[in-house]
Amino acid sequence: MRIPNPRRIFLYILLIFFAFVFLLPLWTDITTSFKSIHDIIYTIPVEPPLSPTIEPLITAFNIMERPLLNSLTFTAVATLFSCLLGSINGYALTKIRFRGANTMFLLFSIGIFLPYQAVLVPLVLTMSRLGLYNSIGGLILTHTTYGITITTLLFRNFYGLIPDSLIMAAKTDGAGTWTIYRRIILPLSLLPFVVVAVLQFTSIWNDFLFGVTLARGSEAMPASVALANLKGTTEVNWNVQMAGALWYALPVLIIYLVLGKYLIRGYMAGAIKG
Amino acid sequence: MNLSFGRVFTRETMVNLLFVLPSLVLVGYFVYVLIGWNIVVSVSDWRGLTPSYNIVGFGQYITLFQDPVFLTSLTNNLILILLFVPSSLALGLFLAILLDSKIRGEGVFRNIYLLPFSLAFVITATLWAWMYNPDVGVINTLFQAIGLRFLKSGWITDPNIALACVVLAIVWQFSGYTMLIFSAGIKSIPESQIMAAEVDGAKGFNLYRRVVIPQLKTPALSAFVVLMIFALKVFDFIYVLTGGGPAGYSTYVLPLLMFRETFLSTHFAYGAAIATLLFLLVLVIVVPYLYLSSRREKD
Repeated sequence: MRIPNPRRIFLYILLIFFAFVFLLPLWTDITTSFKSIHDIIYTIPVEPPLSPTIEPLITAFNIMERPLLNSLTFTAVATLFSCLLGSINGYALTKIRFRGANTMFLLFSIGIFLPYQAVLVPLVLTMSRLGLYNSIGGLILTHTTYGITITTLLFRNFYGLIPDSLIMAAKTDGAGTWTIYRRIILPLSLLPFVVVAVLQFTSIWNDFLFGVTLARGSEAMPASVALANLKGTTEVNWNVQMAGALWYALPVLIIYLVLGKYLIRGYMAGAIKG
Repeated sequence: MNLSFGRVFTRETMVNLLFVLPSLVLVGYFVYVLIGWNIVVSVSDWRGLTPSYNIVGFGQYITLFQDPVFLTSLTNNLILILLFVPSSLALGLFLAILLDSKIRGEGVFRNIYLLPFSLAFVITATLWAWMYNPDVGVINTLFQAIGLRFLKSGWITDPNIALACVVLAIVWQFSGYTMLIFSAGIKSIPESQIMAAEVDGAKGFNLYRRVVIPQLKTPALSAFVVLMIFALKVFDFIYVLTGGGPAGYSTYVLPLLMFRETFLSTHFAYGAAIATLLFLLVLVIVVPYLYLSSRREKD
């Protein structure tokens, strides 16, 4: 039998220790979501429930149902719009190279890093004037606009890898700008569309600041705001809070499990969070 | 300029412009016009719910630096940056090196470490409120159960360590991200260089110190910028976890103060001034970074 090297054993102990630390808050979220009030009193958070119940999950869902649907709606639509516009801009910046392209790129790059506080007051005024305050439409417009800056950058980087000779060949055949986009660029865009869409979906889904300033009423309230309210009002019922967090985390957890490698590519390509 | 008007505005040019026009209008208005508008608000006398645009000059900015709550928030923001940014970089680098040691299950460990980064701050703040709860929360009950009672603490209810607790939790959330950036950097170093160094007798920690780490400047810089900007505009996490407390303002930061002043106290001009200052602080980091990366792109 081969005797394992003590250094390797220590390495694995470290790796497992960190895995424990990184998973601990999520583990206790899950255990607590399945506990009755009785089990919360008679077990400590890291222990599994004595008699698992889905009661807290049902209570939390009843409170969060409408906000979850709201979030799903504006996140899906704003993801679609910001990806489409970003793709068109990326194409324009790399393959048309119109005058002012560099200036546009610089203005969009600064937009990526913009602390949204710096536009929040006039944004609320604009949305009220447009009649989009407290509405799904307002959130779609906001998330699409501030999403365009990053999606443009990402598509620009992807399209930079498509050889110009391909475009030239199509041009000699008499294809116009729009035809080239539809016939050549779009069919080559499946991978960037998945990467950018996964990144946009999670970052719009996770937003809190726009939600809490633009849609605090129930008509359009996002799940992030509903969860923050839940924490504020039911300080005692930890099981319902944890169940609410679990519901709100669910779509992102599914994306992480199923499309994780695309999300990671998105993070690598220039994830700017918050 | 020898092009005639007619040639500049050919049909082709107009079509091309139509491609980017919707985005230019949206970004132009919602980013740049609104930044300008916010600056105008910051030099006005607007207090209360009715907008007022009487320009009174930079008085708000002077008031800011005489306001103890603003100074506390600014100090907290700086302490948070000083603790959070180096810790996340160091832990991320450490994890990246651990994962680089030809281990089994590398992908599983990587996905576990990165998972918190994908979650919303409202979620992670809710989880950490449960972790830190002094009476029935995860950490204190766990210490009690494994015989480490002396480590029990008030955590976020203790004004002396509340800010450190916030930092610990966001390091937990971000070090997976810095690990990812450093891992990619390590993987891009050619195998031949590592082998040459090993032939020269560099091993283990020495190999990293002499060969690997010096080549991680580019990933370190981009991670640094992301962490700095996040630390300046940190809002959701603190709003949900501590609300700025305990003991009044122990975990107040600039974005939280901006939100409270503007949307709860309706001091719009004052809030706008804090927001403008925040924007300037972000520019101080972003502009040199964009300049550096555009030069690198040209090389």
